Amino acid sequence: MTVTPAVIEEEEPTKKGLSFKFPPEETEMGLIAGIIGAVIVIFTGLPAVIKGVGLLLVLLWGMDSVRKTSKYGLGTGVPSIGVLGTGYGVVGALMGLAVAEYGRVGQLYPAVLVGVIVMGAIGLVSGVFANGEKFIAMKIPRLERAMMELGMAGTLAILLECSILTGSLNFAAVVNNVMNTGLIALLFIFNCFAMLHPYNACLGPDERRERTRICAVEISGLIWVLLGFAMIGLGTSPYGILDGVSMIVFGVIVWVVFFRMFIKACMDECYETVGTGMIKTIE
Amino acid sequence: MEPVLMILIVGYVVIGGLLASLGAHLLPVGGAPAAMGTATGIATGTVQIMLGAVMTGLFTAASVATFSDSLLLVSLSGAVGATVMMCVVMFMANILYAFGCGIVPVSGRVEVDPITKEPQSPYKTPQTDGHGVPNVVYISGTIGGFLAGFAGALMYYALLNYAHFSAGLAAIVALSIFVANAILAAYNIRGTIEGFHDPKFKRLPKALISSFAVSLLCGIVVVLAATILGGAL
Repeated sequence: MTVTPAVIEEEEPTKKGLSFKFPPEETEMGLIAGIIGAVIVIFTGLPAVIKGVGLLLVLLWGMDSVRKTSKYGLGTGVPSIGVLGTGYGVVGALMGLAVAEYGRVGQLYPAVLVGVIVMGAIGLVSGVFANGEKFIAMKIPRLERAMMELGMAGTLAILLECSILTGSLNFAAVVNNVMNTGLIALLFIFNCFAMLHPYNACLGPDERRERTRICAVEISGLIWVLLGFAMIGLGTSPYGILDGVSMIVFGVIVWVVFFRMFIKACMDECYETVGTGMIKTIE
Repeated sequence: MEPVLMILIVGYVVIGGLLASLGAHLLPVGGAPAAMGTATGIATGTVQIMLGAVMTGLFTAASVATFSDSLLLVSLSGAVGATVMMCVVMFMANILYAFGCGIVPVSGRVEVDPITKEPQSPYKTPQTDGHGVPNVVYISGTIGGFLAGFAGALMYYALLNYAHFSAGLAAIVALSIFVANAILAAYNIRGTIEGFHDPKFKRLPKALISSFAVSLLCGIVVVLAATILGGAL
């Protein structure tokens, strides 16, 4: 006589379409994105697509920081911390661009990293004030570090976008091409979206880091497309119109691939998808 | 750059940051509960309301700054723009709540309206935290919008005329510093606030200290950048 177990243990469903596991941990992600982003932002002569890869990594880093802060519940919604990161990014980019001419070698601008460091310091100070017992007392573990990372990621993202759009980090060129044309407002909002939207859209009890990151990559693809159109309009790239077109093409590819992956992941991981048909109207 | 101008820039940025923090505490923030009509205020977060107010203020301030050099005129025009925006939003929220949901504007935090002395608690639906934008909250929100717009325009004026930034750069940097201060205030508020009569308003000094430190640092960064550029742009 065989005894059937009271509870039949179900096998863990295999998760498909979720092979996006690069790099596995948050600290590693921060280090890799920070270093690669910093290197790419110095070399302004690179083609736009390579800068776009740096932008993607930096935005993923920012998204990670938003995620690990917002997990504890801010009380004011996830968007606030993403907007904070971009706001710091603009101030940091201003500082970086102002000192960019010092120590410049040809197309290399190592001094822009001063802006990143300064904004890391200001982010740390605001994190201490926001988390400190005597001040706002948010009581979120590691908020200081997260705010510092947000400031740095935001600054790197804005600097990379300026570098993509103007082909250099010359202050006058950036002001004429990015600030005075009003493109900075679009960049501001799109940077905010890339940082805050993935976690804002995916948050919940079964939020998973990989799925949230797929959403972030997808938004980065959209930013590439936007930047590509802006580049063609401005016509400032040293590689001519091909630079902008390649940005648009790669952006569309990234968007299509990762949007499909995201939808597939959502479909796979939801409890059950039931087609109920149209709601019947009473007539 | 002359030292007087440096002090003026840092001073105006710090004043702007402090006013932004104060303005954020005065605005009626309802958050998600207000979207369901179960809390007083406008149905969104602090940051969104503050961004909307200061953007409108910067539009009016930038228009006036094209033909006027007066500090007071530019700042006040920003303040008026933000006030008009806030008043329209609060008015439309009231219309939607009253005629759409069928609930009366009533405060959830006080028994009697501190200004008009109207009773509040008999009209409040049980288990809710007030509805819509009642009189005292409307007045508080108007003052908050005025201060927020004034703060944004003050920073814009300092960056435009003392640091000699171009109009676009001055606007986006003023917006960024403003946003950082507004978010620190939002963390202090934690969710919803009605205005100066709300018990949470007593937490204001903590946000002001934080805002002071952050805007001081941001002001120093702006001065450094402007000095290095030497008024080039």
